[in-house]
Amino acid sequence: MRGKMQLTVYNSRNPRMPSRPIRRSLLFSLLLIIVSGWAAAQTPNWHTPEQQLAEKISAVTGPGAISLELANRSSLNRTQAEEIHRGLLQELSSLGLRSVAPEEAAATVNISLSENLREYVWTAQILQGKNEPAVVMISLPRSSATDSGHATPAIVLRRTLLWSQPGRILDAAVLSGNPQRLLVLDANSVNIYQMQSGHWQAQQALPIYHSRPWPRDLRGRLVLRKDHLLDAYLPGVFCTSAAGVSLTCHESDDPWPLGSEELRLNAFFAPARNFFTGALTPGVGKQTSASAFFAAASLPRDRYALWLFTTTDGQLHLLDGFTDQTAATDWGSEIASVHSGCGSGWQVLATAKDSNDSKNDSLRIFEVPDREPFLIGQPTEFRGEITALWPQTDGASAVAVLHDSSKGEYEAYQLTLACDQ
Amino acid sequence: MKRTSLLWLAINSLALASLAVASLTITTVARAATRPHYGGVLRLAIAGPVSSLDPADASNVSGQTAIQHIAPLLFNTLTTLDDRGEAQPSLALAWKSDFSSQHWEFQLRPGIAFSDGTPLTANAVAASLRVANPRWNISPAGDSVIIESDSAARELPAELALSRNSVVLREGGKLIGTGPFTLAQWEPGKNLALSAREDYWARRPFVDSVEIAIGRSPRDQMLSLELGRLDGVELAAEQASGTVAGGRVVNSAPDELLTIVFSRDAHSPEDRRLRQALGLAIDRSLLNTVVLHSSGEPAGGLLPNWMTGYEFLFSTSPDSQRARQIHEGINQSSAWNLGYDQTDPSARVIAERIALNAQDAGINIKPNPAASPDAQLVRIRLVSRDAHVALNHLAISLQLPAPDPHRASSQSTSSQSLSTADLYAAENALLQTERAIPLLHLRTAVALARNVHGWSEAQDGRWDLPNVWLSAEKPSTEKP
Repeated sequence: MRGKMQLTVYNSRNPRMPSRPIRRSLLFSLLLIIVSGWAAAQTPNWHTPEQQLAEKISAVTGPGAISLELANRSSLNRTQAEEIHRGLLQELSSLGLRSVAPEEAAATVNISLSENLREYVWTAQILQGKNEPAVVMISLPRSSATDSGHATPAIVLRRTLLWSQPGRILDAAVLSGNPQRLLVLDANSVNIYQMQSGHWQAQQALPIYHSRPWPRDLRGRLVLRKDHLLDAYLPGVFCTSAAGVSLTCHESDDPWPLGSEELRLNAFFAPARNFFTGALTPGVGKQTSASAFFAAASLPRDRYALWLFTTTDGQLHLLDGFTDQTAATDWGSEIASVHSGCGSGWQVLATAKDSNDSKNDSLRIFEVPDREPFLIGQPTEFRGEITALWPQTDGASAVAVLHDSSKGEYEAYQLTLACDQ
Repeated sequence: MKRTSLLWLAINSLALASLAVASLTITTVARAATRPHYGGVLRLAIAGPVSSLDPADASNVSGQTAIQHIAPLLFNTLTTLDDRGEAQPSLALAWKSDFSSQHWEFQLRPGIAFSDGTPLTANAVAASLRVANPRWNISPAGDSVIIESDSAARELPAELALSRNSVVLREGGKLIGTGPFTLAQWEPGKNLALSAREDYWARRPFVDSVEIAIGRSPRDQMLSLELGRLDGVELAAEQASGTVAGGRVVNSAPDELLTIVFSRDAHSPEDRRLRQALGLAIDRSLLNTVVLHSSGEPAGGLLPNWMTGYEFLFSTSPDSQRARQIHEGINQSSAWNLGYDQTDPSARVIAERIALNAQDAGINIKPNPAASPDAQLVRIRLVSRDAHVALNHLAISLQLPAPDPHRASSQSTSSQSLSTADLYAAENALLQTERAIPLLHLRTAVALARNVHGWSEAQDGRWDLPNVWLSAEKPSTEKP
């Protein structure tokens, strides 16, 4: 029978807003220790599930003496399991069940903390006398908030989490000022957030219109402008902000700016792929083309700029305006240069993987005094794949986007380099 | 599904072990974290027979696993399941139901076209879904499709993500889809060639084309992989723990059930207790380690623990003494014929070991692949990451009584998704019928050449080929 829709059960929520606010303002980010990774996990509230399970156990046993064992079969860590154990004992006690030694107990309760794809599943097998064990259980949604942080022993790389969301982040940029603003580019929009009381609050979403399907491994870049707020470059689409903070998009093969404002070079992006074609404008000196490449980084020299390109054939090309040299490296395809003021002043960040089997990427820092890059410091490991690495407009920092598949989230980090004293 | 011969397994294991050192050396070398490359031909082989590409073709039973891999390349479903097993939009953008969960409306994504250019319409979707679900009342309504069922269908969005519910335009014997690839060549049971769709609505695949060799022996497949003639081959479960020269093996979580299924309900309380005794007599751990090279996990439940979170509640520990006690307390002699798939040599070894375990408890079982056995050894793939959908389909495939979550449900209203406790109650009720004795949950695996990247390591072993890319190819040589 076709009745009136009484209840809407649209597909699962797909929030653009993060479930947890960023807990440290950028204002204090420079005071953070060099390690980051925002290790501080939220403390989940186990009280309600503890209460629910205790009530179900009590409904079977009634008040009295029980022997209780707890086994952790889930991804919860030992501390969390112990905390839940204590909480359960407390809840059971409030219902008149006291925990005693097995030989004194009227019932044995074996609790297991387990999990499936979506939920934590807490079960209690209750054995009373020679009866068949009774089973009670509760389930509660698994939250990434319970994942413990992952500290990395970085030396000179500072990373500050700017934003996280389930959908793919293409680029992000921080607008200094009071209050600070954060721009986040994704496949559908440029989202503007404003810092309020230490948290980014959504201010505006500027939709991106495009007629053709995006290519797989979508890329995009945000560029802050002096005469207007921003330009956004996506494959085959160019968007620019107008007065009153609106966004105008049109199909365009215009070249994308590479590098920072100080060292400007533009390159044409293949509109249905994930790489630059190699055509450059105005060019590196007299060189107006390179091999097709994924990313570029610039290093200023006294009288010229050295440009590094990670080409689609897996090589590193160095263009100085006259020559195109190839360096044998094991660099990943993502690179960006950052002006640190340390060492030669500019360093290159490059992605890498730890091993063939690793799902995690790391970032390494290189100096390029002449044409041979050399590694400085230790690699900084990320828990996931780095899907984007762009220099910020001022050249003093870069933004890396991490895809943490275990959490199913994309995270945008601001990267700065500090002199290792 | 065709199975690896034991002889081949032994040869292969030795070969793989001898090459493990080389693989270990490779893994210590740092690898560049490169962006995906477009282009290239991905060459795969699957063992399962595929005689029809129609995902709704119920007669293609032995090729169901293979069709689960192939169908998503050509066709889309209204919904898709994410890594948590929750329904997400695909051809349907949004959906809603009435309070009874019997009346559903799926709003279609606009601007989608089949590979021949025909626009996707509600009429086409309704016609396609009717083929696979004759019991549903399906009708188009503007840009939406209405689906009505006789009883509450709370898991319908997850159900619609099954391959059998792919949206297919059937015209003059042709099967046309909205998927990421189009059919370039099809020799039933032998070869399949697919070309990437440039205009695919959910983004063009990285590779230009996929070639799939069908029904080749595992030995041929592995040789071709090692000679560089293939980029990936499907492995039998018992090969899942191996390694491969110059490549890698990608395992799923245990997503295949090995179980004994009785042909009939227990005809008496004694018969029921005898079946319980058989369940207690079988040493599942030994089956797993000795016969199947630890490629699975002992199973007490029909669904694996990663899917439910409670499977450990069903005991897998053997207790031959208790089994013997039960048997001795029953005034009934048993002489069961245990059937198995003759084309699966490992099935014979498993059946014989079960018979040995049973004999220790005084139970008489004869492995016998002949027709009309009392019980059958069955391997069956779980069709969905949604536990409720997977359990329903297991029950249908094994001809068990339909799970009755509504009777079991104590926590969920008719409009809510079923709770884990409901699922446990439904599965427990199925097991209480003593129609099935779960033995093992097995992993599925593929062996991949080193140039293959982006292969999904999803828990259920599904193939996500649009995201696969090949590093040996040079996208700079192709037209952007």
